[in-house]
Amino acid sequence: MKKILSLAITAALTLSLAACGGSTESASGTTTDSSDTKANSGETRTLKLAALETAYGADVWKEITAAFEKATPGVNVETTIDKNIEDVIGPGMKSGDFPDVIHLATGQVKGLTETFVKDNNLTDLTDVLSMTVPGEEVTVKDKLIPGFTDTTITNPYNDGKTYLMPMFYSPTGLFYNAGLFEQKGWEVPTTWDEMWALGDKVKAEGISLFAYPMPGYFDSFFYALLNEVGGADFFNKATSYTEGIWETAEAQQAFDLISKLTTTYTEKTVPANANKDNFTKNQQLILDNKALFMPNGTWVVGEMSKAPRADGFKWGFTALPALKDGGDRYSYTFFEQIWVPAKAENADLAKQFIAYLYSEEAAAIFAKVGAVQPIKGMSDKLDGDNKLFYSIYDNGAKAAMGAFATTDPVEGVNISDTVFRSIDSLVTGAKTQQEWVDGIIKASDELRGALK
Amino acid sequence: MDTKKGRGRFIFFCLAPAVLLFVIFLIIPTIDVFRMSLYKWGGYTDNKTFIGFQNFSKLFQSDKFYQTFQNSVLLIVIVTIVTFAFALLFASMLTREKLKGQNFFRVVFYIPNILSVVVISAIFSAIYDPNSGLLNAFLNLFRGFQGEPILWLGDHKIVIFSLAGAMIWQAIGYYMVMYMASMANIPESLYESAELEGAGRMTQFFEITIPLIWTNIRTTLTFFIISTINMSFLFVMTMTSGGPDGATEVFLSYMYKEAYTNSSYGYGMAIGVIVFLFSFALAGILNAVTRREHLEY
Repeated sequence: MKKILSLAITAALTLSLAACGGSTESASGTTTDSSDTKANSGETRTLKLAALETAYGADVWKEITAAFEKATPGVNVETTIDKNIEDVIGPGMKSGDFPDVIHLATGQVKGLTETFVKDNNLTDLTDVLSMTVPGEEVTVKDKLIPGFTDTTITNPYNDGKTYLMPMFYSPTGLFYNAGLFEQKGWEVPTTWDEMWALGDKVKAEGISLFAYPMPGYFDSFFYALLNEVGGADFFNKATSYTEGIWETAEAQQAFDLISKLTTTYTEKTVPANANKDNFTKNQQLILDNKALFMPNGTWVVGEMSKAPRADGFKWGFTALPALKDGGDRYSYTFFEQIWVPAKAENADLAKQFIAYLYSEEAAAIFAKVGAVQPIKGMSDKLDGDNKLFYSIYDNGAKAAMGAFATTDPVEGVNISDTVFRSIDSLVTGAKTQQEWVDGIIKASDELRGALK
Repeated sequence: MDTKKGRGRFIFFCLAPAVLLFVIFLIIPTIDVFRMSLYKWGGYTDNKTFIGFQNFSKLFQSDKFYQTFQNSVLLIVIVTIVTFAFALLFASMLTREKLKGQNFFRVVFYIPNILSVVVISAIFSAIYDPNSGLLNAFLNLFRGFQGEPILWLGDHKIVIFSLAGAMIWQAIGYYMVMYMASMANIPESLYESAELEGAGRMTQFFEITIPLIWTNIRTTLTFFIISTINMSFLFVMTMTSGGPDGATEVFLSYMYKEAYTNSSYGYGMAIGVIVFLFSFALAGILNAVTRREHLEY
């Protein structure tokens, strides 16, 4: 009797366990079924959008999708917006369920976009450029500011085809306290020689010339500087790891400059806070008049909006100083990207959606939250600080775009770590300039063979 | 005979659910890590190429990996020794000595353990701050106010020890409570008779307390290894992001970086395999060298 009872209990337990497993399976089964019938009914099509929630907020995407649904009858947009979008869509993608369109820029810690680029897993979006913007008469290409779709970021495979479309952009450069310059009667340096002179002058007052939030922020600085020392051609050669490029006189000039800036003119405490939890303390140095310049993007204004600041503080923004009087000055343009996975089911609809994003209607919605797209004439419609920032190119600075070229993944080699992260070591003195440059040459050599 | 068979069946059915869960959630993922380490794979899609042991051969030639290995081992050694010493000391003080506010101290020591690592990191980042931090402000009392501030989280030579400091502070309470639990079980009579024989406090501690909680100590040594490897990742991620310039990169933070940021998931898994084997081996060695005859009381 006892035996039968115990058997019955174990049987019941096992059954209940099995039932648990079964029920979840059937539950997930029903959800896919229902979405299938919706898609197959032919009346409404579903576009799956995944977007990273950034400082611009999640609501703006809801507004955009609502407007797109209104403008395109028969389309239903299913949006996934999250601050950790990689973790949300990652598991689904491993089992073959891809969003149709993903708004996620390169340069994130999880490197999802880079992984897709490296794996050749993107849909060619070149034809989006010739599409007419829904509701308007012009093509996407005509609306975009020239240059944005000719970069190594948007055309990663060097074949003239665009795989990632440029979205919100931001000029980057050196930020400073314009109020302090007015009070003291200082001139904002236009050449590096003036910069060094100013650095020596402020040192006497206990102010450092330079600070940086995190070494990663040197990317825009470095790219702009490469353009200054050798022009666009040199920049392209350097970022595609051309053999011997780092031993040229131009590269030497860039390395010397960064070395001088970091070892002599940078606030010494910067490396201690140069991580993603404390970098705002480094930005605070500018607000507190402890350092004069920092490399940053326009988002810093919003990021530091609640931070305490020195009396009379006013944001100032300038391109990188020129190497010599009358030389070119550059400001690197940072932009986010939107792209379509190769395995997206509704790639055509996704392209239509992307084209819509460049319409006046969509641009106005984005502009409300300060997200500016590379659309001609957009910068005229801005006000406040943003007007100053986005007018940098009207005031003589040249735009630099692009980044280190895409390669197949090379295990253990990370060019941005090698170039930018090591700058911490230059400041603390743990690495000499030569060691830094040697590391860059070695990494370039290893990446050259893996170029796309 | 029949009852024996029935009993076997009963045990089988009782264990089956647990074994099933264990296999699904532990054995299979572990095997998967080993399998994935043989592929070149980005991690998000299904483009996988089998490359055999190439990931491992690259790993053994990588300076960066050796640096992370060094950092991890250094952390394991420092954190284990210091935490172990302090936890034992505090535990025996709180169980053996008649202190005022014993319960209060017990709670205070345990609090770091229930705090989230993010909170602890924020606290220590504030303490280590070069300009306004507690530590530099305190040291300035002795050093005078001139002189360069010490960069606790910015100097390559110091930063790993700063990290260890935070980890030790966090871990002491947990191990202290574990040691206290087994110390409380030691019969008072042993101490009384030892005292009558003229044994001092130190002798009592080393001759009675330590041998009698030895099994517990051995268990915690394994915990030290596992938790230091795991916790160091969390602390690195929240305090230094591996910086400055990789000076605090540890096993798991490097694995994460390679697997995700550098799109080399397979390579990351190879690091995972090494970590797995290393921690297993280290725990095994520690277990073997600390084997003593079991004492009964």
